[in-house]
Amino acid sequence: MSSDAQAITSPVAEVPLSRRFGAIWWAALLASGALVLLLGYTLVSVSLLGVGVWGVNIPFVWGFDLINYAWWIGIANGASLFAAILVLRRHDLRTAVNRFSEGVAFFAVICAGIFPIFHLGRPWLFYWTFPYPATFQVWPQFRSTLTWDFWAISTHVIVTSLLWYVGLIPDLATLRDRARRRTTQTVYGVLALGWRGSVRHWAYHQRAYRLVAILVLPLILIMQSTVAFEFAVTLVPDWHETRQPLHFVATGLAQGLSIVLLVAVLLRWGLRIGRYIDEGDIDLLGKLVLASSLVSGYLYIDEFVFALLADRMAQEATLNRMTGDYAGLYWAAIVYSIVIPQLFWFRAARQSTVAGVFVGLSIGVGIWFDRFSIVVGGLQMDYLPSIWRNYSPTLVETGLFLGTIGLFAVLLLLFVRFLPVVSMFETRHDEHQEKSS
Amino acid sequence: MTQRLHGIMAEFRTPEALMDGVKAAKRAGFTKLDAFSPFPLADLAKELDYRTSAIPWIALVAAVLGAGAQYGSQYWMNVVDYPLNVGGRPLHSWPAFIPSTLIVAILWAGVATLLGLLLILRLPRLHHPVFAVPGFERASEDRFFLCILSGDPLFETTAVRSFLETLSPEAVREVLACG
Repeated sequence: MSSDAQAITSPVAEVPLSRRFGAIWWAALLASGALVLLLGYTLVSVSLLGVGVWGVNIPFVWGFDLINYAWWIGIANGASLFAAILVLRRHDLRTAVNRFSEGVAFFAVICAGIFPIFHLGRPWLFYWTFPYPATFQVWPQFRSTLTWDFWAISTHVIVTSLLWYVGLIPDLATLRDRARRRTTQTVYGVLALGWRGSVRHWAYHQRAYRLVAILVLPLILIMQSTVAFEFAVTLVPDWHETRQPLHFVATGLAQGLSIVLLVAVLLRWGLRIGRYIDEGDIDLLGKLVLASSLVSGYLYIDEFVFALLADRMAQEATLNRMTGDYAGLYWAAIVYSIVIPQLFWFRAARQSTVAGVFVGLSIGVGIWFDRFSIVVGGLQMDYLPSIWRNYSPTLVETGLFLGTIGLFAVLLLLFVRFLPVVSMFETRHDEHQEKSS
Repeated sequence: MTQRLHGIMAEFRTPEALMDGVKAAKRAGFTKLDAFSPFPLADLAKELDYRTSAIPWIALVAAVLGAGAQYGSQYWMNVVDYPLNVGGRPLHSWPAFIPSTLIVAILWAGVATLLGLLLILRLPRLHHPVFAVPGFERASEDRFFLCILSGDPLFETTAVRSFLETLSPEAVREVLACG
């Protein structure tokens, strides 16, 4: 480590501190900002008019709402799990992708949280799920998965954001010290909490950071299982299976990794920071995406075998998902999340920006189809033939979903603009290790 | 009248130089030291004998308390205070109480670890004497600092200054105490 250390992380620090940013960034911000307006519009209409503006009805009481909730939670959990594993393994890749994996997880869980809150119908009463001494002397029913979900989502938001922020503190201090304008100095200075890089502080900081990363691992597994329990504890034939948590954890990981890959590829291209997220990182990420999609493939086979072994109703319900009205979704899920990622057997595909974007999006889309197939297709053949009908989302539901994508994009764009996307102190540490070895 | 000192600080270009400086200072008998670096230096933390085992203990105690509070409150609410017969299922359906018990244990452990971290580090803090030292802003980028604090029993301005000079630093500066 030497005086050129400053040069090492300068480009990363320059990004948040530069006063001008490219036209592409502004265009992207405008486009996603428009989607956020759409989100506001749909949320206001749901709040004013009620959930009747959605296409949900018995038996499809969840519809788009739970599809998208489960989808976003999958991204959040996959990205968190990946980030936590990197921290614990002290892997080189950690430096490159850890920071924004945590960011992706945090933003995705914010998007996910919108759905269950508005699904309540009267979202301003969401605090009723919290056990507080209410005047009507009723307590939440803890034998219901929905209360588990309340704790799971709020815990995930708090723990993910804390982990992300604690990792950011030393880098915020760097930005504070490099900033030249008074306001920038003040803002980053307040956020850096007076970090001064004392070796004693570093020792505690690293210990705490790793410990919270350890805590994230069981949290993610329980959290994703809780989402799956919402299906598994019902008596719906296609859902009432003990394999659900495994299915959600595994496909969620594939999805999280694919979104991390997508963001990594776009950041490399957009911010020209190929040195920090290098080809080796992208290659390794591609291999992980491929491996996780193979695991998803295994779980699809497992689902099929389970269905054949199940009782007649469950068997028919699952086979109906594969051959009935919603069969297209099931097979699209397989094509997008398992077949297309096989491209990554080729090194050239793993290292190409276009293929990275393509496969990243493809898995995201594929798992969305999978959630649609489970939530809607799985409900189609319930025990009562009199309620066999179909579901399709209304414009408001579609707008809500697009709106959360916009919100995710806005948060990501602001993050890229104002915070270091790559951990600078870890980069310095790694460069030093490399030099001294 | 001269202003009170917080300590005297030497600036180095490399972590190795900082490490050598700390070792020399310890050999010379100084005990109240503070070192600053732009990235974590595990070896140096070991050399300075910083023990961080408080962190996992905080997490463990918080996790146990959180789990106890959550399980206990679920039991009290759903079994004692507001028993509700749902399809004849037992009131104390313990497996159903487990998911949120585990989740809340993690919540308490996570929050306590990070709040505990800030408490131990005495952060957030609006100002610290070292920030007034010219050039200290590079402690968050590429410079390494060793500060011998004025609370050290062997502290004597000229002696410490000449000792730090022997370590061939980039610069030696006085750190004025606040207020």
